[in-house]
Amino acid sequence: MEPFGPKHSQKRSRGQLVGGVVLASSLFLAGCGGTAAGPGGAGPSSGDELPETVKVMVSVPLTGPAAFAGAEAEKGYELAAAEINESGFLGDGVTLEIDVRDTQASVQKAASDVTAAIADSEVTAVLGSLSSAEALAQSPIAEKQKMPIVYIQAGSPGVILGDYTYRFPTPMSSYYNILSEQIAKEGWTSIGMVYGAWVPTLKELGEVAIPEMAEELGIEVTSSVATQQTTQDFSAPIKQVLESDPDVVSILQIGPANATAMQQLRQAGFDGPVLGNSSAGANTLEPAGENGAGMIWPVDFAPGTDDPASIEFIEKYKTANNDEEPFPYAAEAYDATWFVAKAIEAAGSANRGAVKDAMVEMAGGTWTGALGSDLSFEENSLKVNGTVIEWDGTRENVLYSAN
Amino acid sequence: MSSVYDSNLVLIQSALVAVLLALSIQVPLRLGVFSLAGVGSYGIGAYVSANLVLRYELGSIPTMALSALAAAAVSFLLGVVIYRLAGLYLAMATIAFDLTVAVVALNGGEWTGGPVGLFGVFTDLTMGLLFAVVALCLVAVHVTEIGRLARRVTTVREDPELAASVGINVRAYRLTAFVVSGLVGGLAGCLNTLTRSAVGLQDVSFHLVVLALTTVIVGGALSWRGAVIGSVLFTWLPTALAFVGDWQELVYGAIVVLAAIFLPTGLYGAWCSARRQFAVSFVGRRREAAVRARLHQGNVDKEVAAS
Amino acid sequence: MQELVATASLGSVYLLFALGLSAAWGTIGILNFAHGAIFVSASYACYELLAIQQLPVQVLAVIAVAVGALLSVVMQVLVFDQIRKRAKSERAAETRILIGGIGAAMIPVAIASHRTKNLAFGLQGSGFQASVWEFGGVRITSIQVVTVLCALGAATTLGWYLKRTRAGLALRSLGVDDQVAALMGIDRRRYAWATMAFAGGLAGLAGVLLTLNLGAISAESGDALLVKAFACVVLGGVGSTTGVVVGCMTLAASETWVLTQTSGMWVEAVSFGIIFVVLLLRPQGIFGRQEVRRV
Repeated sequence: MEPFGPKHSQKRSRGQLVGGVVLASSLFLAGCGGTAAGPGGAGPSSGDELPETVKVMVSVPLTGPAAFAGAEAEKGYELAAAEINESGFLGDGVTLEIDVRDTQASVQKAASDVTAAIADSEVTAVLGSLSSAEALAQSPIAEKQKMPIVYIQAGSPGVILGDYTYRFPTPMSSYYNILSEQIAKEGWTSIGMVYGAWVPTLKELGEVAIPEMAEELGIEVTSSVATQQTTQDFSAPIKQVLESDPDVVSILQIGPANATAMQQLRQAGFDGPVLGNSSAGANTLEPAGENGAGMIWPVDFAPGTDDPASIEFIEKYKTANNDEEPFPYAAEAYDATWFVAKAIEAAGSANRGAVKDAMVEMAGGTWTGALGSDLSFEENSLKVNGTVIEWDGTRENVLYSAN
Repeated sequence: MSSVYDSNLVLIQSALVAVLLALSIQVPLRLGVFSLAGVGSYGIGAYVSANLVLRYELGSIPTMALSALAAAAVSFLLGVVIYRLAGLYLAMATIAFDLTVAVVALNGGEWTGGPVGLFGVFTDLTMGLLFAVVALCLVAVHVTEIGRLARRVTTVREDPELAASVGINVRAYRLTAFVVSGLVGGLAGCLNTLTRSAVGLQDVSFHLVVLALTTVIVGGALSWRGAVIGSVLFTWLPTALAFVGDWQELVYGAIVVLAAIFLPTGLYGAWCSARRQFAVSFVGRRREAAVRARLHQGNVDKEVAAS
Repeated sequence: MQELVATASLGSVYLLFALGLSAAWGTIGILNFAHGAIFVSASYACYELLAIQQLPVQVLAVIAVAVGALLSVVMQVLVFDQIRKRAKSERAAETRILIGGIGAAMIPVAIASHRTKNLAFGLQGSGFQASVWEFGGVRITSIQVVTVLCALGAATTLGWYLKRTRAGLALRSLGVDDQVAALMGIDRRRYAWATMAFAGGLAGLAGVLLTLNLGAISAESGDALLVKAFACVVLGGVGSTTGVVVGCMTLAASETWVLTQTSGMWVEAVSFGIIFVVLLLRPQGIFGRQEVRRV
């Protein structure tokens, strides 16, 4: 056995030598120093005018569980970049170049993209990941090494760290309470919940946002059951919730679990209204057929909106994408790209520090774009009004928009 | 040069952490203990270090020491309880341990940050220190791969009964495997938190078990060089495969399958046998045989002297 | 009572999945980590087929079994046989078979996730709608009944086959000592293929039944089940069909209990705690056989 273990004295001394070399090289590197986060590249210099090409890196998941969202977002980034370049927004002969990278659903790859962007002296800003875990890895690097980064989605705390980090829009929990209008109108007085406690945004909804909303409305939370990533069958938690006899049930799950929970909820005999979350969008409920009908949830953007700025975006998007309707990811990505472009234009420079200063100023004002008109920022995140969606078994319908 | 280094900084850090994580699986494997508890230790190290930095504002060196020791202590207790289990039963018990650490991480309230995790873990860790710590671990492991200790380790793995009959305390060796795995795994988790400045549920998942095991088996299970080769390979593979776009998972899978089939002793093993073959054709078969015979005799002599 | 229905239905899904895993592991020594991928692929193949042609669920089930069996045999021929051929010892092959399975699993899952963009997919194209029956306040769906019947049927057949038939005994002998078995004239490769086809077929059936039961799955749904099925097999004891049944039902009962009685945060800790305790008390699983060790 042991076909390649060192067996004889010659080899042994060689082995020790290898160890010695490793140690020596490490001491050499220790002498070189440098922080673990590495020395920051300065980025494009602050000249009087913009270079011919302004480079922005996009780092989003295009494969893995969030592949769909990433692919839809990519259309938004590209639409905005094409528009910026066609209109000559950054000035004559200046093009905005977006370099799209796939994080491959890997936190390491996401972080690595940002360091690569920082090291590349031509990159002015990064459009960061939509996954919270990935954004949490990107933010500290970007903030510490002074690279402006603008996220979409990524609703976890800790993503926004300072003046270099921005987000479109605020997390779902901040506009979830627009549902209270519907709850008050229908006169529901009790709610039971089955929520995926392993997802940051859903845990926040299930443990903070919905209980707070319930307290404001004076309705009772009768039962609340947490499910885990490996929970695929929801009949047991649904049974526990239904035993408490709530008027409305809240199903907060990710992806196919939404369809499963809806089907099992109906099979368990509950035919009342259901409050969901935006990850039930993108036809996720379609496999549940009729059983999926009756779920309502708030979104930051919906094609049925009546906001003029949003409608303008929808028209442009449809023209560019064979008349398809945009998903929220595309609208968010579109606005994030424009935010970067406007900051570059305002700064009159591709320098990272100058662009950051422009972003700070813009975040103090209002924003009009695909996500709506005259919106304001809160802690560097765009505050949206929100729209309530209802799934009728085959498609999403807009119930109402908040003002 | 410097630019290449800077833009690959995260990957270099990841590879260094991956080497330690791989060692935490490989060291017990070399002792015949199919324990995957290294991933649980990694999680413990990751969360303990985040707390030490955020709450007690410790520097990087005491944080490393304390989190590695904490993970080693838990791993030792685990070892005392389950060291009797063998093969895939042991693997399952240790996976259960890893996933229990994940449950604690999810439910740890403000100590673990639940599904969000903890962030903003900044310390004075430098790249030099990172390299030095990993090199130190490699040297320590290297010592167990040479001389008498290496032969004892091999005996404990290949034939525990024989080892016991020549007076080796097999139980002590197996428990040591758990402690070393805990130390190295905990250190890996700590370094991951310190370089990433954040820790979350992805740092204690079944996916990590799969990744660490694949790294060790594809790289080579019987030497630290295998762990290094595997870690470098699997850290850069996603970047290297970026050009195949959506199909990288498929190519990645195919590479793992091919390695499992055609590299029965891992990449390092393949390299060793290639080198040996080269030596044979170069030096000539007769001399090789003579050298082999002499070495064999020498080993037997040493073995006799040792026992 | 409703808990009992939930346990039986969940346990049966685990059982359908775990039986195949256990059959291959306990007899020909292949712990196939691509079992989850086969499960998803069979269901995914049905989904793709439904886009072209509407088919009743019975036909889909047959197709899923065929796809599962075929994929499983292909993996055996292209991956596991090749690893065995090149490995020096059984122990050396063990970890490589694990890794080979992990790699092989990525390939069909990559195709399915690429085509579905990782979104949920279901078999609603078959027009199948589960009927719900109510007996004294206890609700039960037709698909739950079918799942339980299929799982128990498969377990009974497998148990009977391994214990009572000549071929089954030959298979069991492979699980005990394949070299001696080979000396006794048992054609190992042929048995291996048959076993893998059976295991894959069960995974395919489980894929369709679970998809109908849950309404929707995604390309990555196989992973969670794989860990659980592995736990069930270990819990019951490798090589024992009764053991797998008990293991699956124990895990399902503990999960259902936690999810109906508590806030659900510790559901996995309870499941893994049980596995841990059982392994401490019975290192070979509840019904596992003690290995004879040479001294």
